[in-house]
Amino acid sequence: MSLVLTVVVSVLIGTLISTVLSCLPGLHVYNVIGLLVLLVLTLGSHGVTLPPEVYLPFIAGMIVGWSMLNTIPSVFLGAPDESAIFTVLPGQKYLMFGRGFEGAMITGVGGLAGVFFLVLVVGPLAPHYLPVVQQVMRPHMHWVLWVIITYILMSEWPKGGNWGPAGWSKFFDAWRSLLAGLATFLLAGLLGFILLYRSPVSTDMAFQNIMPAFVGLFAVPWCLVNMISGVSVPEQHVAASLDIDGDVILRSVGAGGLGGGFAAFFPVITGGVGGLLAGHATAQRDERVFLMSQGVSKLVYYTGAFMLAFVPGLGITRGGGAWLIRTLYTPRTYYDYFMILGAVAIGGAAAYLMMEPLTRGIIWLIRRFNYRYVSAAALVIIMALVYAITGWVGIFIAAVGTGIGLIPVLFASRRLNCLGILLLPIACNMSGVGHHVAAFLHLV
Amino acid sequence: MKGISHFISGVAAASFCPWAVQAAQEGNPLYFILGGAFGLLPDTLDFKFYRFFYRHEMYVDPDPENPDPQAIADALADAVRRAGEEGRRVRIKLNTIRLGADFWRQYVVKFDPDAGEVLVRFGPVVNTGQVPVPGTGGDERVGRAKLAFPVVQTYDATTSVDIFDGPTFAFTRDESGRVVIHFLPWHREWSHSFVIGALFALAGWALWSWKAAVVIMAGYSIHVLEDQLGFMGSNLFFPFSRRRFPGIHLMRSGDALPNFTTVWTSCLLIFWNLYRQGPPSIYNFSFLQLLVYGAVLPLGLFAAAIYFVRRLSGGGEESEEIDLSDEWGDPKMS
Repeated sequence: MSLVLTVVVSVLIGTLISTVLSCLPGLHVYNVIGLLVLLVLTLGSHGVTLPPEVYLPFIAGMIVGWSMLNTIPSVFLGAPDESAIFTVLPGQKYLMFGRGFEGAMITGVGGLAGVFFLVLVVGPLAPHYLPVVQQVMRPHMHWVLWVIITYILMSEWPKGGNWGPAGWSKFFDAWRSLLAGLATFLLAGLLGFILLYRSPVSTDMAFQNIMPAFVGLFAVPWCLVNMISGVSVPEQHVAASLDIDGDVILRSVGAGGLGGGFAAFFPVITGGVGGLLAGHATAQRDERVFLMSQGVSKLVYYTGAFMLAFVPGLGITRGGGAWLIRTLYTPRTYYDYFMILGAVAIGGAAAYLMMEPLTRGIIWLIRRFNYRYVSAAALVIIMALVYAITGWVGIFIAAVGTGIGLIPVLFASRRLNCLGILLLPIACNMSGVGHHVAAFLHLV
Repeated sequence: MKGISHFISGVAAASFCPWAVQAAQEGNPLYFILGGAFGLLPDTLDFKFYRFFYRHEMYVDPDPENPDPQAIADALADAVRRAGEEGRRVRIKLNTIRLGADFWRQYVVKFDPDAGEVLVRFGPVVNTGQVPVPGTGGDERVGRAKLAFPVVQTYDATTSVDIFDGPTFAFTRDESGRVVIHFLPWHREWSHSFVIGALFALAGWALWSWKAAVVIMAGYSIHVLEDQLGFMGSNLFFPFSRRRFPGIHLMRSGDALPNFTTVWTSCLLIFWNLYRQGPPSIYNFSFLQLLVYGAVLPLGLFAAAIYFVRRLSGGGEESEEIDLSDEWGDPKMS
């Protein structure tokens, strides 16, 4: 098989597999890549060596596909109940108005726009500009992280205290959600310290260390709430048009490209944080732009972070996918870079083509089965995956994460505060105080 | 201006201090955190603390079952009358109308100084994202009440009331007998004062050092100065003055372009300061080159693309009524 054909086939198979992965709520693509890397290493130890032209495009296809198609379960399987709807993304609100198809497809268009942005704008410019930025910013990454933490904690709007006479009762009512947000951040940060310094997960499964905690923090709470509240999803309308134009797409690319790009370039900043910052910085109030920009941001964050490992002369590794790849291969030349750019383009196109049938499929699923049962099935799949990958210890970590992840759901605070699990310990480590904090907590 | 614009401006102000960059290079993020935090603090004080203790003489609580625009217009006209006749400050709070966990009835209030009246109209039901719920169009009825005194606008004429907390108006009579309308009188009152900034700086000096005090004062002051670009203005010298100095009307707090420009400019300034104060780099560039490659080219190309797309589609950005989130700066739901 020719080299080009090998690359194309690999990326298409990777994208196709991501189609299945993306529909399993709670399963992160990095978990699967981690297992894949273990498999390649095991094969290597038995004398079977795979060429990089097979596994690099394959992984690129998985990441591009997952970051675009993972919108579908987040829109359709994360439906909120009445008490918690304040904190959910507009995509889920589309679902509650019977417009889940539209919401998912608008985000998908955002993902496709993100592919164009990466391949046509970032691709040619990155090797010229990013090494300069990296050179200047290298000693300053830690405070950027602290500044972002400060902004996240300071910028949340108090949800209560809207009615009644002035005074302390009004103040405390308002601060309930803010204190819940702070508590979430600190507890998640504490969990992060424990997992970083005294992880109970076996070292054999080190690639999956954080997975059960993320599942508990982000995926399980919604499943539980959906099951307990018995929310009913209205009949979903499959729209003929998405009511978007070039203006909406451009503004979304501007906001999402900035947020996702920022998150991809700076360590530990996630796509969610990037999306939040970009939404605020670009002052977007149009819900379509917000939704689409989240699609752009997510794709640019995941795929862009992976791409950065291949930018000639840059020499940085960002995101779980790139770190995992580094254990197999060190990209150096424009050959690798162009191969990945091509893989991103092909994978992005293939993933977008899968958006509509998958969305229709999941609409059929929730129409056919009671939503409570769908949520229960999603929870069972999630917990089975956690058990399969990390065992009972993972289940325990997920349970702890769930306890923390339920706080923002119940108190209508920002779910983003759960990212304290990464932000706090790593910011402390980057500033050189992580070890002292760990010692204070008797973790070392 | 939006919260993130103030915040990043404070960080940019800190980056001009050589000791901040030096400390950051040695692993100490304190000065940059202080710059950002005190850049945002004036609004935090107002929106997260002071407004919950601010007392009102009158509350307007529309009936969700039977929304009556005339009753709201009458209450506002009555507040204006009382301020004019009694010569004292009258504060009135317009409460939001919550219809469910995620549903709110929107209404719009407009003061028309030329016609000497206030108009109120009910809009659609909106969700917490301030997006109208399909099939819930606005009410055709308009509540209209004559104002007993001529009024002076100090902010936008139209105010939208929808999610979470509603706005407050204060009415005061001036020397010429007109009633001045103050939008959100609890905002930019004592908190947006250079004097308060200086007090925080003194506290920072006592707690850390004079270097921290400089960063705190710079972050706080830049917030106050940026807000003066808008309409509302601030009480710049509280407690020595008791009134808000009017803004210079260059922009509105929620406008996308000036906010984005501020964020982008701040990022470039931070980058430039880190570059010029950092260790020798293998890459060398001038400030002009940074401006061209970092601002003129990308923003120019993006603006041109937006312009052509809008020309092709024949559309443009619609102007919106102001609401509380314009002043807080960031989407309340995020």
